[in-house]
Amino acid sequence: MGSLMANNGTGERLPRSKHELIDRDSVIDFEFEGRQISAYKGDTVGSAVTAVGIDILSRSFKYHRPRGMLCAAGNCPNCLMTVDGIPNVRSCTMQVQPGMKVKRQNAWPSVDHDYGSLLDRMDRLLPVGFYYKAFHKPKFLWDLIRPIVRRIAGLGRIDILNDGGPGYSHRNMQADVAVIGGGLAGMVAAIEAADAGLDVVLIDDQQVLGGHLLSDTTRYSGIDGLGDGTGQEIAESLRERVQVQKGIQVLSGASAFGYYQDNLVAIRQGFESMQLRAGRVVMATGAFEVPFQFENNDRPGVMLASGVLRMARLFGVLPGKRAVIVTDNAAGYSSALNLFDAGIEIEALLDLRSGVDTSDVGDAVRKAGIEVLAGYRVVSASGTKRVSRVKVIAPDSSIRVLKCDLICMAGVPQPANGLLLQQPGVSVEFDEQLRESVPTQLPDNVFTAGDINGYHELGIVFGQGVAAGRQVAGVSDDDSSQLRALESEYRSGLRLPGDSVSGGNAKKEFVCLCEDVSTKDIGVAIREGFGDIQTLKRYTTSTMGPCQGKMCHKAFVEATAIHMGGSISATGATTARPPAQGVPLGALAGPGHMPLKRTPLDENHRSAGAEMVELGPWLRAHNYGSPQDEALTVRERVGIIDVSTLGKLDVRGADAGKLLDKVYTHRFSNLREGRIRYGLLCGENGAIMDDGTVTRLSEDHYFVSTTTGNVDAIEDWFNWWLAGTGMDVFVTNVTSSYGAINVAGPRAREALSKLTDVDLSSDVFGYMRSVSGSVAGVPCIFLRIGFVGEVGWELHFPSEYAQHLWKALMEAGAEYGIGPFGLEAQRILRLEKGHIIVSQDTDAVTDPLDAGMRWAVRFDKPDFIGRAGLAANRERGSESKLVGFVMRGDLVPEDGQPIVENGGPIGRVTSSRLSPTLKKGFGLGWVPEKLAEEGAEILIRIGDKDWPAIVATEPIYDPEGERLRS
Amino acid sequence: MAFLLNCPDCGQRNVYDFRFGGEVLTRPQPDVSKEDLTSYLFFRENADGPQREWWNHSMGCRKWFIAVRNTHTNEVIETSWPPEIESNDDGQSDGE
Repeated sequence: MGSLMANNGTGERLPRSKHELIDRDSVIDFEFEGRQISAYKGDTVGSAVTAVGIDILSRSFKYHRPRGMLCAAGNCPNCLMTVDGIPNVRSCTMQVQPGMKVKRQNAWPSVDHDYGSLLDRMDRLLPVGFYYKAFHKPKFLWDLIRPIVRRIAGLGRIDILNDGGPGYSHRNMQADVAVIGGGLAGMVAAIEAADAGLDVVLIDDQQVLGGHLLSDTTRYSGIDGLGDGTGQEIAESLRERVQVQKGIQVLSGASAFGYYQDNLVAIRQGFESMQLRAGRVVMATGAFEVPFQFENNDRPGVMLASGVLRMARLFGVLPGKRAVIVTDNAAGYSSALNLFDAGIEIEALLDLRSGVDTSDVGDAVRKAGIEVLAGYRVVSASGTKRVSRVKVIAPDSSIRVLKCDLICMAGVPQPANGLLLQQPGVSVEFDEQLRESVPTQLPDNVFTAGDINGYHELGIVFGQGVAAGRQVAGVSDDDSSQLRALESEYRSGLRLPGDSVSGGNAKKEFVCLCEDVSTKDIGVAIREGFGDIQTLKRYTTSTMGPCQGKMCHKAFVEATAIHMGGSISATGATTARPPAQGVPLGALAGPGHMPLKRTPLDENHRSAGAEMVELGPWLRAHNYGSPQDEALTVRERVGIIDVSTLGKLDVRGADAGKLLDKVYTHRFSNLREGRIRYGLLCGENGAIMDDGTVTRLSEDHYFVSTTTGNVDAIEDWFNWWLAGTGMDVFVTNVTSSYGAINVAGPRAREALSKLTDVDLSSDVFGYMRSVSGSVAGVPCIFLRIGFVGEVGWELHFPSEYAQHLWKALMEAGAEYGIGPFGLEAQRILRLEKGHIIVSQDTDAVTDPLDAGMRWAVRFDKPDFIGRAGLAANRERGSESKLVGFVMRGDLVPEDGQPIVENGGPIGRVTSSRLSPTLKKGFGLGWVPEKLAEEGAEILIRIGDKDWPAIVATEPIYDPEGERLRS
Repeated sequence: MAFLLNCPDCGQRNVYDFRFGGEVLTRPQPDVSKEDLTSYLFFRENADGPQREWWNHSMGCRKWFIAVRNTHTNEVIETSWPPEIESNDDGQSDGE
């Protein structure tokens, strides 16, 4: 190879042909392992490197055997390379881009000279399932060997510094019809369906529509509805019809890798992955040739006939000069003629069947002077880095050695049903006559057409495509009886070998190329007891590699059948699961869409230099520099905090009070208008779910707040308990509609009074009361509550006015020393008041009794959610209680540190901070009941030492609530 | 899991648009025995076949409804609004 290099560096090429995919006027360069390679626009990496004479494309998974181009269609594992840092890219379908950087994988120091190939001679050490057998004794050996095995085995290396390149994206799509496969059947089905007015998406994994026809130069005529011409010409005219047909969206270079219930198709196209929900699906994924079994059937130069034709016809590249064709069906003769026509010398055609093929193509082959060896079998291929000879055996057992640099395997095509079989309700069965597994049961709205059905004749494939297109469109089909006749004629004309034509018991006769499993390995595993195809698959890992069984499933079943002495249909098949084609994890993960909610005051916080923190879905101001100073501002002067993230539910209707009585532990139906009550929400087991405030705005109108991030769940919870009751209640989530600001501190009244007519004096506007009024011209609901323990008002208002109101408050409060405080300061302040934060101080089983909130539970209500659970808990008693504590020394424990006794844990700190009031560490924690007494001493483990703290059952700040009520 | 679910309000939608609410249960009276309470809280039929269950169209109309789904095949046999249930003044009964 390479002796007739064209001077533009693109290697040796056939003369230009009309239907090739390359543009000979446009040469592009890319980097291949540090070497510059020139290619034509339209070349794949695989065609470009083959053109310049590179035979070894990869090293195998286990034995590091050289592997070369095989299918040239993206189905096999042989050409996986690292492209621009992305490992395991199929180079045979990856189009060359200028400046692309390509490397081969799994070899050291290089793919051409790989020391790993020594393993090929040490196969005795690496029997099938060696992971379970070898290197386990003595015990330390495995720890030594494992990293080596990990390094040697496997595929490309993930570049952990590569963040995914241009970035993956996701898209959801819908269509009346999805047609999967852009060959003859798929194209005509799409045209028929779209012509009937349906909206069709046509998905094809190749760059150009046409399937096998793209490289087929056979001349066809006499097929009704399909013009005469070569396969390539027919493909072109259909492609043009698809392009002009209204209603077809074509996805080229797109692999459909998942096919889920109710016709959800997962597709990857480059860096985009799509979920297409189709009303109906036409599966026209076709069929592909698979390798035969003989020794060294994986040598570079051993190719599928279709692969050789693709290289020749699409890219003008001949992957060899002198070929031996191996076939077991009449189609192999057509391939031989095609290859001959492409300029490959044919050493001989080996027909695995006995007897003379009397078909037209059989005659044509003989007329072309090609020697036909009927009834012969291949024994082995030889040649170290590429095939140079093939040893064959005649029916009379005499041996012949043929010289060649290419072995073209043209077996009965196997249906590409790996995707179809993922759909629940699909079954296939092995058809003894067609020698393939064909669909026998399909769910409604799923159709198949073409080669996937086991028919490999142009007229039938075309007819089935038309029929499927009409069926999905619900159009009556007058040609169906004609099609049935063609099908039965095809069946009766078939002359195929029976079971076990291929598959012996050789070490280097590979069933599974991905995982380096030989026919011998299958036999060993079966003798070890793995006699069921499903367990055999898992033990040998056959069919579990990158090709997902495409190249090996047939050989695997056949080898199993031979070793088990059963028929192919009795042997069964492995289960097809997604993905049918490898998908990068990035494509599945998609872009990092972490939806983040910003409050209407987000800009104000940033411009004030706030440190922001994620809290549930929200971004909140954590602090503005010093949480301790901010807390003191609230204690000594006045502070404002953005509490817009609070969940807010508007609950209205005649039965609103009844609903709230039902879901909350407290009673709300007796709450007077303009009053506020703390609300605690429990699950049916009595555990605390959420807390907040409930304000009665009017007779049938309540305003409910929930904890940040929990509002959607609480809204669902309310509506669930309403479902089916017929109660007159509407629950509306107004979280984003309302902004909220809490103004708190001893000077809060003075500051706020400057902006409102509402009388804020304590005898008029008492604690836990609510009014509506305006502040700085903004309509507000005023809630006089005190999470932070000072006089204060939580203002709720239309969120559009948030910035105006914030600014007005800051200006009005300036003379009183107002300052903003963040989440952290609020946490310190509430902790000094002993107010819990649900899910910080409580967990999934904490009930109000344990948390010291018996006062919030009205057992005198006949029922509420969680009543029965709480009653059972009350009877059982508590094991531990949530209490406050103050450290004796100067240390401040961290949230979550253990409370210990005799060196063992007996509880834990849930919240702990430095108190700005006491200047000491303090917090809340769970302790056993016996220690839940004022003044009890507990020990908190900080680092590896235990530090004493004193239990405080009352809040450390303003225990009587005098400041709060003032 | 990729099946379609028919919201009585919005029509057929991807199941990912919904939130699952579990089997339809009968809520016990508040004076329930501990055994029955435990059973209500922690035990489920876990039917292999058709099952009546709650679903919420969380990314649509946000309404709760009931579906009969074959848990073996994910075939949704029917969906409907929850039946009107007797709700006495104490709100003692629920589910169905």
